[in-house]
This record gives sequence, structure tokens and C-alpha cells, in this order.
Amino acid sequence: MWWRSASFILDRQQEQNTSFPPNPESLLLSSPPPSMADSLQNPKPDISAYYQTRAAHHAVVTSDWLAQAQAAVSLQTNDDVSPGSDGRVATTGGGTGGDNKTFSVIDEFNSWRKQPDLAEAVAAIRALAAVIRASQATTMMELEIELKKASDSLKAWDTTSISLTAGCDLFMRYVTRTSALEYEDFKSARYRLIERAEKFGEISCKARRIIAMLSQDFIFDGCTILVHGFSRVVLEVLKTAAQNKKHFRVFCTEGRPDRTGLRLSNELAKLDVPVKLLIDSAVAYTMDEVDMVLVGADGVVESGGIINMMGTYQIALVSHSMNKPVYVAAESYKFARLYPLDQKDMGPALRTIDFGVPIPSKVEVEKSARDYTPPQYLTLLFTDLGVLTPSVVSDELIQLYL
Amino acid sequence: MPDTQALVNDFLNKLKKRKIEGSQATAKQTAELLRSVISQTRMPYTNQAAALIHSVKAVGERLIAANPVELAVGNVVRRVLHIIREEDLSLTAAAMAGLNLSAESDDEDDTDRDNHPALSAAAIAAASRSTLRPPSLQTLLEDVPDSAAVPHTSSSGGDSEGKSKSADKSSRSRKLKHDVIEAVNELIQDISTCHELIAEQAVEHIHQNEVILTLGSSRTVLEFLCAAKEKKRSFRVFVAEGAPRYQGHLLAKELVTRGLQTTLITDSAVFAMISRVNMVIVGAHAVMANGGVIAPVGLNMVALAAQKHAVPFVVLAGSHKLCPLYPHHPEVLLNELRSPSELLDFGEFSDCLDFGSGIGAPLLHVVNPTFDYVPPKLVSLFITDTGGHNPSYMYRLIADYYSADDLVLERRTTSGN
Repeated sequence: MWWRSASFILDRQQEQNTSFPPNPESLLLSSPPPSMADSLQNPKPDISAYYQTRAAHHAVVTSDWLAQAQAAVSLQTNDDVSPGSDGRVATTGGGTGGDNKTFSVIDEFNSWRKQPDLAEAVAAIRALAAVIRASQATTMMELEIELKKASDSLKAWDTTSISLTAGCDLFMRYVTRTSALEYEDFKSARYRLIERAEKFGEISCKARRIIAMLSQDFIFDGCTILVHGFSRVVLEVLKTAAQNKKHFRVFCTEGRPDRTGLRLSNELAKLDVPVKLLIDSAVAYTMDEVDMVLVGADGVVESGGIINMMGTYQIALVSHSMNKPVYVAAESYKFARLYPLDQKDMGPALRTIDFGVPIPSKVEVEKSARDYTPPQYLTLLFTDLGVLTPSVVSDELIQLYL
Repeated sequence: MPDTQALVNDFLNKLKKRKIEGSQATAKQTAELLRSVISQTRMPYTNQAAALIHSVKAVGERLIAANPVELAVGNVVRRVLHIIREEDLSLTAAAMAGLNLSAESDDEDDTDRDNHPALSAAAIAAASRSTLRPPSLQTLLEDVPDSAAVPHTSSSGGDSEGKSKSADKSSRSRKLKHDVIEAVNELIQDISTCHELIAEQAVEHIHQNEVILTLGSSRTVLEFLCAAKEKKRSFRVFVAEGAPRYQGHLLAKELVTRGLQTTLITDSAVFAMISRVNMVIVGAHAVMANGGVIAPVGLNMVALAAQKHAVPFVVLAGSHKLCPLYPHHPEVLLNELRSPSELLDFGEFSDCLDFGSGIGAPLLHVVNPTFDYVPPKLVSLFITDTGGHNPSYMYRLIADYYSADDLVLERRTTSGN
């Protein structure tokens, strides 16, 4: 959604007027309905489920914010957020909106997704494995069609999650193109698929360990690392470095509005790593002390650039202009076949932002949750395929999907 | 065995005392040494490749430790290890196919092979192929390559089949060694002919009436320029003298005898002259995995000047100079400080350098680094024996030449030093 001329303000107003009474019919009409059997419509299509889950898993919520949120919830009778037991917010996800008839990939996926230690792609592949288990198919072709349907509906369910899309694509490619499956009968092939899908969780954990090992050479004694947001891979890298008795200092950005940086700083403090919290706008101010920038990624796109939490792009720009290396730690299953040309080229992934004070309705709020960092601002990618330059990513993807 | 030991020690001494100049000579001698190590290694009956790899690795680690700055040594060791792995794999695949054929004809005593009817030969071959390939997205979901299983099945097959196959077995062991030595010979050949392969491409890059700038002396650059000259291109060459060793003087002399129009300039005049230059062509000490270049000192300055005036900066490098490691603090860790005598005369400055003057420490310090690190973004093009490549493409060549297992293992040993 972006506008070439100033007339977008008019467009905006019209749009708001037409769609102000949010009746479900118009919603269904406006967005093309997915063409599969169990097409569960996402009840909140304007809010990115992916970033909501991330916030639920990694955000730190202070008590006063919680009180405010609770007050807001009771006021608006909106069951969007409910306070979790340990002071975090757990989303209800909204996956149970549809009638629980037989089996739904999306429910399966959402239940896996709730586990905070499970990567998004792992949840997707587990959900697809559940499809295989539940399927009545007797031939490989049937199974493939069913899986295709399931993965399409999963992708349509949350278009903002790149690792979900990439995970589905990866698994589908494995199902359709693996030569090893051709030599087996249907039963053993089916068994093998399920087994591989189950193993994928291990593969994902192993990938993180490999990345942590590979990146150790890049963390030298006495260095200062700037980290943005919360990323499990980055945490693993820093944890391994701390275990290897490296002396380093970490600057964590706050990561508004989820404040995921607070969570990371907590974790690092537990490991006795010297850590300093910055507000997101203090990046340029502190950049001269920083030796390297280390970020995770929500997705690595074909150009070699990354899609990551809002603010990564500006950190990369600042570090580029100050000649500091920007390293990205990302598992290879986050490589996605996307080629964004600019920031607005991706579908918007919106999320709610709490400013602490009421915002007048006339004031627009930029709600996008992610930005795109072009490859020329990245130095190296640490992946489980090895330490790669950004241009390698497209090579890998072309090899896979050609 | 003792004679190779002596050879190794001799070579180690030479490396330690920095007696061998230039990465090409080092690479060639390393390959020759490893060839003799391989030919002297006694081959056991089972797991011969592992025995070879072990002995090569043992020697290789000592060689790398002797001169960690000369990356060509490590490169050649890794290349040889890769060769062993590749040859072993192709032999195993061939043997596997042969075994399966025989299993079909007489399957009364091949009981152990019948235990895995699900694993067809093609599946095994596919799995073993993936062991050598660097990890990729393609193999991410596939079975974790059971590299242990492949040699195991072949050796257990050999055990059960008794005497009739043992003759075949010993011929196979000889075959592996033979193949490896053959391949190492090819590698040596490649190293010694890389100049010609690079020089062949000269006419594509040097055009009529161009002005080429180079710094210091490199045999590859010399051959490259002469090859263009032989093809009747007329062009001018600016040679920066390359202080403090002034090898540029030698290069200029050599170029003049070959009939090229040559201009000698001081290093400090590079920026003044760069606006008249069409292309900078230089040699390298080593090319790192990210496309960065370890080059003779002064070249980073030239590269920056070239960037300022948008002059293409072309680096010539034989494939033995491609190093699969990433540079960490290359200015310090991959550098070597040479004797201060190259900079100044001891007789003249002996008072300043004198330790016995009473103050304790000398007032005058001399730092004489050998190498510069040129970051990949300053390099326009690499010309290797396989053609011209972008800096970001270097990883691809490296993936072809080295196997992933060796990188990690060697890296640990080198970082330990």
C-alpha cells in the first residue's frame, strides 16, 4: 500500500469511510478467498500474526503497561491480549475461530507456533507432517496435492511470516523433487517424509549450533557488539562466545514497541556478559564504540538482503556510513524466494503500537513491523551452510528451485 | 619413512626461516612434499582414505604452523585432502556398483548386503555424493549423510567375501594411492602453468593505447603484460617502484627488455598519476574467502586511489592463492614484519637504535610490514586461471576446490597459533 501522489490522503479517507463498519462480508470480498477446502479466514487480517507471536514470545512487558492493557481490554471488551502468567502477554491467536470439524493445518500450526522455543519454519513443517499423518491418500500424487493445498492455506493464513512461507516451500520441494523418495514404495516414502519432518526440529537446533560455532572466529576479545531486537540465533551465538570465555560487551537496542531488546539484555545479564541498553534512537550516538553489528533475520531474500524487525535498516545504514561490519545470523531455512525492490514492496506486516498516551484519531501511525535491509549494507551472513556473502543467497536459492 | 621425515623437516626449516619466496614456489614445493608423503604412507587394508588423510593432515598442520602467514601452504594441504576424499569417493562408488552387479549374479554368500534391500545403489551413491558437496539448502532436509555407513558397508563386504576378493582389494588400495598421486601431479602441473592460463586472457582486458599501472613486481603480472604485448597490443605501463624492496625497478627493467613502453614512478606519485591510468593490474599474495586480498604493502593505497578515480582495480591470482578462510584482523594477524634493514642503513642510524645508550629502549622504531589487506569492495575483478570473477563469486571457486570438513578442522589449528 503506497501512493505516488499526495492524493493518497483523499484515497485514505475514502477507504476509511467505505470500510468503517467492519462487517465480515466486505472483508471477505475485498481479499481474494483462498481456494482450498479448509480455508480458514484470518480473523484479524490487518495485524501480522507472525509479529504478534514474536512479541508474545520475546517481548518484555512492564507492570504499568500491563495494567493499562488490562484496562483497555476491559473497556473495549477486546480479547486480543490477555496477561500471561509470568508477566508476558500470550496471544489467543484466534485460530479457533472456525468450527473444529476434523483437522485443520492452521490449528495445528498455531498450536506448534505457541511454543516459544520452536522456530516458525519448524512449526510449519510439523503442521505439514500432521497433514501427512491425517491424510487418507494412497498414492504419492494424492499426498502431494493434499500437502500443496495445506501449505497454500497455511501461507494464506499468515502472509507476513517469511519463515512460514520458506518452510512450506522447502518441505514441498523436498516432497516433490527428492530423488531418494523415488526408489521407495508409498508407505515407506510416507513414513520417511514424516520422519524427516519430525527431525526438522533437530535440524533447526543443530543449525543454530553450527551458526554459533562458525561465528566464534568473528567475535574477538575486547569487542563491542551492537544487537537489535531479540533473535534466538544471536542469543545462541553470544552464549557460545561467553562459554568460550571471550571477553566482549553487548549493546542492546530497546526494540520498541515490543521491547524485545530488554529480554535479550536480561538473558545476557544472566550469562554475566556486560550489557548496555540503548534506546532505539541512540544507535548513531554509540556507533563509534561499536566494533560490529549482529542481527538476526525474519527472512533472507533472494537479493541477499534481509527482512528483519523495524529499525534494522537504519542501523545498517549508520554502521555502513561508519565503516562497521554488519553480520547477520540466520538459519538457511529462512531463505525465501522474494525479491523486494524497496521498503514498501512487501505486503505490509502491521502491528499495534502502544504510545502510552492516547493518540488523536487524525494522527496517522506507522504500524509496519519490519523493514528490508538491502544487501550492500550487509557484510556477511552466518548461516548453517557456512559464512556467506550476501550474493551467495541467490545462488543457493536458484540451485534449490531451478 | 625416514627420508620423507627428513624432507619434511628440511622444508619446515625453510618455511620457518622464510627461505622460500613467493606463494607459487611455496605451493609447488608443498604439493611435491605431500606427494612424497602420500607415496611413503603404508596403506592398511581398511579405511585407506582415512589413513592417507591422517598422514597428510599431520604433516600439513606442522607446515602451516611453521609459517602461518604463507597461506598457500594451507591451501595446498587442503587441496590435497580434497583430492584424497574425491578419489576415494569415486572408487567407492565404482566398487559399490561392481559389488551390486556381482550380488545380482551370485547372491549365496553376500548375505550382509541383502540386509539393506531398501537402499538401492543409486540412493547410496546419491548419499555419498552429498557428503563431499558443501552443505546446501538442497540437502538440508535430506538424510544426514551417513558418511560412516558408506565405507563400513564396503569394508564389511570385503571381509565376508574372503580370499577370492582380497586380490581385488589390494589392487584397489594400490589404485587409490595411484589415483591420488596422479591427481596431485595434476595439481602441481596446474600450479606451475597458472601463469600461462592467466596470461592467455590478457588481450581481453588490455586494449590499444591504454595505460596500465602496477606496483611492485609479480611474475603473473609480468607474463600478463607480455602476453598482451605479444598479441600486438601497444600500451603504456606505469610501474610504482614498491618501496622498501623496490621490486618495481626489476619489473620495469624486465618490461623494457621485452619492448614495452614503461614509466617508473615512486609510490607516492600513484595518486598524481592515477587519473591518466585506464586500469590497475596487480598480483596478490592470497585471496580470502570474502574476496579480500592480501597483497604487497602499498596496494591498499593504490586501490583507494583507483576507487577515487573509478579506475578498474584488477587482481591476478592463481588458484593456489585462493584461501578458504575469512580474514580476521588481517592487517595484524596475516601480516609479517620484515627486517628494518630494508628501510634504513644500520650504520647511519645505529645511535638511534642503540640499546646501550642508557635510556633502555630505542627512540626510533622501525615497522616494516610486508602485506596490505585490500577489502573486497575495492577490487573490480579477479582474474584466475579459470577466468574473470567478481569478488563476491570467490566463495564459489573455493567451494569447488576445498571440502568443507577440512576448512573447519584446519581453521581451528590455525587460530590456535
